[in-house]
Amino acid sequence: MSSVAPAAGGVGVLPRRKFELVLAGMPRRRAAEKRFRLYGQIAIGLGLAFLVILFASIILNGYTAFWQTHIRLDVTLDAARIDPQGNRDPEALRRADYNELIRDQLRAMFPDVSGRRDRLALYGLVSNGASFDLRDRVLANPELVGQKIALWVPADDDIDMLMKGNVDRSVPESDRRLKDNQLAWVDKLAAEGRLQQRFNADFFTRGDSRDAELAGIWGAAVGSLLTLMVTLALSFPLGVAAAVYLEEFAPRNRWTDLIEVNINNLAAVPSIVFGLLGLAVFINFFGLPRSAPLVGGLVLTLMTLPTIIIASRAALKSVPPSIREGALGIGASPMQVMIYHVVPLALPGMLTGTIIGMAQALGETAPLLMIGMVAFIADIPKGIFDPATALPVQIYLWADSPERAFVERTSAAIIVLLAFLAVMNAVAVVLRRRFERRW
Amino acid sequence: MSEILEGHTVRRYDGELNTLHLLVLEMGGLVLEQCREALEALKSGDLETVRRVLTRESQVDALELKLDDNVWWVVGRRGPVARDLRVVMAFAKAVADLERIGDEAVRIAHTTLAVYDDEVRRPSRKLLRDVQTMGRLAVGMLQDAVALYDTFDLAGAESLVQRHHELDAEFQSSLRRLSTFILEDARNVGHAINAVLLVKALERIGDHARNLAEYVIYLVRGEDVRHGGAHPPQEGAGGGRGSR
Amino acid sequence: MTATQTSAVDATVAASRVKDAVNLSHIATVARDVRETVGEVRVRTPRMRCTAVNVYYGDKQAIKNVSVDVGQNEVLAMIGPSGCGKTTFLRCLNRMNDTIAGCRVTGEIVMDGEDINARRIDVVPLRARVSMVFQKPNPFPKSIWENVAFGPRIHGLAQDKTELEEIVVNSLKRAGLWDEVKDRLGDPGTGLSGGQQQRLCIARSIAVQPEVILMDEPCSALDPISTARIEELIDELREHYSICIVTHSMQQAARVSQRTAYFHLGDLIEVGDTKQIFTRPRHQLTEDYITGRFG
Repeated sequence: MSSVAPAAGGVGVLPRRKFELVLAGMPRRRAAEKRFRLYGQIAIGLGLAFLVILFASIILNGYTAFWQTHIRLDVTLDAARIDPQGNRDPEALRRADYNELIRDQLRAMFPDVSGRRDRLALYGLVSNGASFDLRDRVLANPELVGQKIALWVPADDDIDMLMKGNVDRSVPESDRRLKDNQLAWVDKLAAEGRLQQRFNADFFTRGDSRDAELAGIWGAAVGSLLTLMVTLALSFPLGVAAAVYLEEFAPRNRWTDLIEVNINNLAAVPSIVFGLLGLAVFINFFGLPRSAPLVGGLVLTLMTLPTIIIASRAALKSVPPSIREGALGIGASPMQVMIYHVVPLALPGMLTGTIIGMAQALGETAPLLMIGMVAFIADIPKGIFDPATALPVQIYLWADSPERAFVERTSAAIIVLLAFLAVMNAVAVVLRRRFERRW
Repeated sequence: MSEILEGHTVRRYDGELNTLHLLVLEMGGLVLEQCREALEALKSGDLETVRRVLTRESQVDALELKLDDNVWWVVGRRGPVARDLRVVMAFAKAVADLERIGDEAVRIAHTTLAVYDDEVRRPSRKLLRDVQTMGRLAVGMLQDAVALYDTFDLAGAESLVQRHHELDAEFQSSLRRLSTFILEDARNVGHAINAVLLVKALERIGDHARNLAEYVIYLVRGEDVRHGGAHPPQEGAGGGRGSR
Repeated sequence: MTATQTSAVDATVAASRVKDAVNLSHIATVARDVRETVGEVRVRTPRMRCTAVNVYYGDKQAIKNVSVDVGQNEVLAMIGPSGCGKTTFLRCLNRMNDTIAGCRVTGEIVMDGEDINARRIDVVPLRARVSMVFQKPNPFPKSIWENVAFGPRIHGLAQDKTELEEIVVNSLKRAGLWDEVKDRLGDPGTGLSGGQQQRLCIARSIAVQPEVILMDEPCSALDPISTARIEELIDELREHYSICIVTHSMQQAARVSQRTAYFHLGDLIEVGDTKQIFTRPRHQLTEDYITGRFG
């Protein structure tokens, strides 16, 4: 190489020779270039592969949860038992023992079942929620009393698992949750066409439940939504105001430097610390209700503020100074420059930062654990003061549950969470487009 | 060459101005030679020299064309300002004057031919003495003027402008003397007219030499001293659209 | 400081070198520290009168003791090599330097009997009187109409919509842009060509009805045709406004201005009638600069 270098300097080299030197080096250069490109492609390929594996495993695990095995029962709504007075009083209708009706029906379908244990096992075929479904039907339409109706009720989660092929019949009976007699009943029901996979609407409309077949995501989704609304309402204005002040108006001195360093550091603080802070300040000191979306929102606000401030400052910085100068040069006050020119131009960037922050908040679990949003809450929250849980916490709870049916529900909940995120990102993209189109 | 022309960041500009300068000096030298030889021929009656002067006139014309061409190109290409502008303008104007001087030399040569025409008797030495005196003065001025373009000597230029009065006075007195010649002897009329033409030509040469000196003053000092320096630079004429 | 001294020495050497060749007795002797401004600093009818203006960036002095008048209805061109302080000085005239941290201005800049650097002077109305056009065309990313209407709107110059319309249309006409944009006032200002954008910026400045317009190299990003149009425009605007223009093109300074000021390393070396500056500058540094003998 060193022998070539002085020659390449051009002193004693004929043009032709020099050209040959260049040509000689070309294959090596091209190969290096190709390699470089290849590394990039490999990196992207690996990333995509992992993404595909992740999505595939989640979807394959979870999509079955959107279907639920139902059992058809032909229930006779005996007027004497439901409504002894015969006046169709809603209160009376509500209090009637529908569970007994269902059990009667089950006994009628399998008359040869006797003995307390076997009967309980028989009743266990049907979900505990079946009686509520029946009650709801009757309350919605009292005319049904006295008639015999065909009712599709959710099957117990174990039956559901069996129907979805997740129960191994070859395992010895003692190790199985479903006993041999139950398997026989299920087979009989299946043979009669009384078992069917139906769309699992409950999953999207119900709150959490101890019974896997009744557990739904709606309560957690509403909790997440309320929490995020609180977070957005607080962190966007606060973050933008802080960013605008720091970037445009604050004097550069030791104090603002300190604030800047702190904001950057806050972005790196582990989120559980924010949870502890929320517990100590909002719940113990201010006495706000536990498990409430309000407190969750406050804590997540603390967590997302640095992200939003940093992103907003970057967006403000990227507004060309010539725009500011142009406005200042014809006598706009600094605030007019801000409101008319800089902030509108920086808004897309600010929104992006905000959405990133929101997405982070949506996926956050740890701080919510600390403020009690991890509690088992079956009701759907009606406001920001009601106890609630959030999607990621719900996933965490279900992932902890021992029943086999919760495994697919966990994955389904993850799918819902991802869909939620995708929608949020789509909204962000649309918003950004909308604002950017104003040149 | 002269430092007044040099020092540009663009070296080629220096070269272009130097080329102009050399051409002016060359033309000045040529014209000076023409005048000297014309006068010499007048004195000696050497018709060979006269013809040389006449044929060399075309060289002067060629130099004028070449110089003008160079001037236009420098102006067009460089857009000279300040001193450079004055240099180029002074050179451009000097060219015109030098060419006229060349014409006067040719006129002297033609008159010389008439004076020494075989059919006419030779003029008396006395008659041509005035012409010789004025010739020495005028050619001296011209020589100094041309030299000024080498040295750009402001003091020399100023004194040269003053010397013009000397030549003027000599011209007036020689005209008076020539008229007495005619009054003395009517046969002298033909030669006297030639002599008048000659002194007039020499007077013109002196005038042009003065102009050349004035251009040098303008070049160096940026001040137009022609016509008694009666024109101070006007205010506010730079902006294009006239005054408000 | 060393840089100043070195170049001052250089200039002295250069001056003496030329003096050896030519008798240049009229050229002012180059002083080593403070350079006295050569030429007519004052005019009969000043619009702004600057006296002993100094500008410091931190402890570096960018402008040294500059005194100059901006005349009524005149175009004052400021020329000089890069970093000579001409833009800094221009920005003093409407206190745009306020926006630069660590920038300190001393001295007096008087407009209508008031020092614009005085504490009680508010920069917002000042900039409405002394508006600025920048090097890079910087229309707001809004419609052409909005660009021009912005100034009058924020200053409350128009009582109603018709009045605003009148101001916008007149400004565009005066900036020579009306015929080109009258059919597309709602289009974005950033969609215009470079020259049109710069004229839009000038229209935007005119719309606030200023008394002085400052232009910081307004044509440096434009092609020759656009430049010519802007120069023509400047010439027309002179009837109504005083204009200060910083330019790197000496030819442009010669073409558009009535007076020219030459800055060199923060000093105002020479100021005077443009014709005089460009035919017979009095200061050696001015001459060296405009004839291309610099450095």
